[in-house]
Amino acid sequence: MSGGSITNRIRTLRFLNGEISQAELGQRIGVTRQTIAAIEAGKYSPTLEAAFRIAHAFNVPLDEVFQWTADCG
Amino acid sequence: MPYREKTAWLTLIAIALTFGPYFGAVAARGRAVGAVPDLHQLGLFAIAVAAQVIIMAAGFAYFAITSPHDARTPPDERDRAITSRSITFAYYVLIAGMVLVGGIMPFNSSGWAIINAALFMIVAAEVVHYGIIVISYRRQA
Repeated sequence: MSGGSITNRIRTLRFLNGEISQAELGQRIGVTRQTIAAIEAGKYSPTLEAAFRIAHAFNVPLDEVFQWTADCG
Repeated sequence: MPYREKTAWLTLIAIALTFGPYFGAVAARGRAVGAVPDLHQLGLFAIAVAAQVIIMAAGFAYFAITSPHDARTPPDERDRAITSRSITFAYYVLIAGMVLVGGIMPFNSSGWAIINAALFMIVAAEVVHYGIIVISYRRQA
């Protein structure tokens, strides 16, 4: 399986949505503040359902929140 | 620090404070540990279990008072994933221990030697379980 990296724009989207806190976003999608922090830092990849919930919370398509880049070579 | 990392630390500390000295005493007594029943050995085990229950109860009560919301919040998907991974590793430790204790030791040991070896493997599996939880939360922090 080829590698790749997942990035996200959660920090930007939180800012654009009235600087909502990690705790508030976590509450909206049903995870803890620490899990949002881990997702935002790229240290934890959420389940597909949680990813959709995050996109829904910001009212944007999934690919505006998460991006995947394939490793070259 | 996530609530579940705190409780994992609590469990590791409780194990270190109770079963650490217990197995230290077992090692110090060496072959003096007798056949079943050995009331002295049984007493040490009872003290270790009682001390662990007290430490855990006090720790959980402290967490419930200082962070009641975290204590009531059910585990989320990351908590469940970390727990699942830690249980998988602990399972292998426990199975290896049970093969050793149940399949090999009966041929050359008896009594408390087998009981203590089984206890040690259970405690080792618990240490792996909670150790991996702590490491996982630290790596994702």
